[in-house]
Amino acid sequence: MSIASSSSRTVPFSLGRLGIVAGNTFLEAVRQKLFNFLLLLAVALVASAQLFREFNFGSSELKFISDFGFGAMVFFGSTLTIAATAQLFFSEIENRTALTILAKPIWRTEFIFGKFLGVFAVVGVFCALTTVLLLALLYHRETALMTANPEAFENGRIIHYGDLVLMGVLQWLKFGVLAAITLLIASFSNTNLYTVVMGFFVLVICHLQYLARDAYGAVASLPLRLLVQALGYVFPNFQVFNLADQIGIGQGIGAEVFLRVAGYALIYIAVIGGLAVYSFRNREI
Amino acid sequence: MTSPSPASAIEITGLTKDFSLNLRGIKLRAVDNLTLRVPEGEVFGLLGPNGSGKSTTIKIILGLLEPTAGECKVFGVPSGRVDSRLNVGYLPEAPYFYRYLSGTELVRFYGRICGVPRKQLDERVREVIDWVGLSGAAHRRVGTYSKGMLQRIGLAQALVHDPRLIILDEPTAGVDPVGSAEISELIRKLKTQGKTVLITSHLLAQIEDICDRVAILDKGKLIVEGSVDELVGLHDRQSLIVDSLPAAELEELRRWLASRGHALNAVERPRTRLDQLFLSKVSRPQKGGDAQ
Repeated sequence: MSIASSSSRTVPFSLGRLGIVAGNTFLEAVRQKLFNFLLLLAVALVASAQLFREFNFGSSELKFISDFGFGAMVFFGSTLTIAATAQLFFSEIENRTALTILAKPIWRTEFIFGKFLGVFAVVGVFCALTTVLLLALLYHRETALMTANPEAFENGRIIHYGDLVLMGVLQWLKFGVLAAITLLIASFSNTNLYTVVMGFFVLVICHLQYLARDAYGAVASLPLRLLVQALGYVFPNFQVFNLADQIGIGQGIGAEVFLRVAGYALIYIAVIGGLAVYSFRNREI
Repeated sequence: MTSPSPASAIEITGLTKDFSLNLRGIKLRAVDNLTLRVPEGEVFGLLGPNGSGKSTTIKIILGLLEPTAGECKVFGVPSGRVDSRLNVGYLPEAPYFYRYLSGTELVRFYGRICGVPRKQLDERVREVIDWVGLSGAAHRRVGTYSKGMLQRIGLAQALVHDPRLIILDEPTAGVDPVGSAEISELIRKLKTQGKTVLITSHLLAQIEDICDRVAILDKGKLIVEGSVDELVGLHDRQSLIVDSLPAAELEELRRWLASRGHALNAVERPRTRLDQLFLSKVSRPQKGGDAQ
């Protein structure tokens, strides 16, 4: 009797198989030059933030380093998420490794969510590294400023490092939503290029959709207003992840805000991931 | 009393597959009302020119494509179901595997996907890699493998979960005659282990050598199907191979046969086959993989 058939005739959904696909996706991604290149660029950009010294000593400079660092994370993280998701999906299709995997007793749901989790892990490593570097830079600079200008820090350190970590986590979740969107596009797209272009297109929509909502939210035409509201639900609003003004210096992220934004991201990941699975199940390999 | 026919590894009934060519609804019929049965334990050759529907049929058997009409069962389970693939190993045409994994890591990866128990996995991976003759190159990255080695590691990943049915799509495409002969030898070994093998190939001599039965497809339709002996044997003729005869004795033999009502239809010199000559002249690689 064969090894595989000795257990059972049915094949239940398996988190183990999903993890195997995710692990392999992660391994493939970290061995790609693109990942290393973007990681190096992001690290270099975050590190270069401390070179900008034309600002006044004190909180303005620290705020600048914080904003600049998160800006680099968002820019390179978005690029990495879209490029890596499309590349890692289409490498399986174009090299026909998807054939050998899907010819095994594995659900397509496991394959798609495995791919997602692999990319999500890669982006998680990226966010963790850039966040840690940013924290180290801020701590180093704040310590130097405290020595040079003690009266500005008479109440102790002004940076909320815990909130910066939460901000890094929220950016990671935002990239998760973006990865799910890119995977959904890839599930029905025929080319890598189309997926990448559409991914960036949707990224811009998600960042700017609040403008459309503000502009058309008050229009008299009911159908137009409903359409804009519907589109507002279809495309996630990436502005909700932008808490840069609330964090870092003087203010903090409340637990309620953090959980609400994290929940918002997880719901979108689940729904868009589900749509990607549905689309991929009907795809002819 | 007739012996019961063996159970079916694959049973295809009235299978049709159309592909949409464009948005106007024009369709290409890749497989047309195909009915086919592959008995368990046989080596079955699926032949046909390019575009005849062989790969489409294989993809339907593997559940990678949905049939437009008809049905396909693997060991009695509809091929669209995940559990139909529990006992199937597959080597695709011109396989490309993860270049960054070593041979051992690759086979291990597929073994884990197939649910080979952890306790048996290492042993099983070693066993199949040794079986396909790649133990010496098992720790090299797949990206450094030659074409023949890729086919063999592909065979190892197809066998890692010890399936009852192995599907080989052009396993010798692009492989040199030595590698091709080795793959033929492995297929023969699979048959002795009681495995069912479905193979497609354009090397008809190889198919003739290793297959019990063949089916020929053309434009998606089944043209002919039967055992190799039935299809290529000339049952009303025999050949006698003797030492060279002088002309006079040959003439005497012809007259002797004619006196008994038989005709001597041809007098030929037996020839060896070119592939056999090639294999007898060139050296075979050491176990552990050929040079890149």
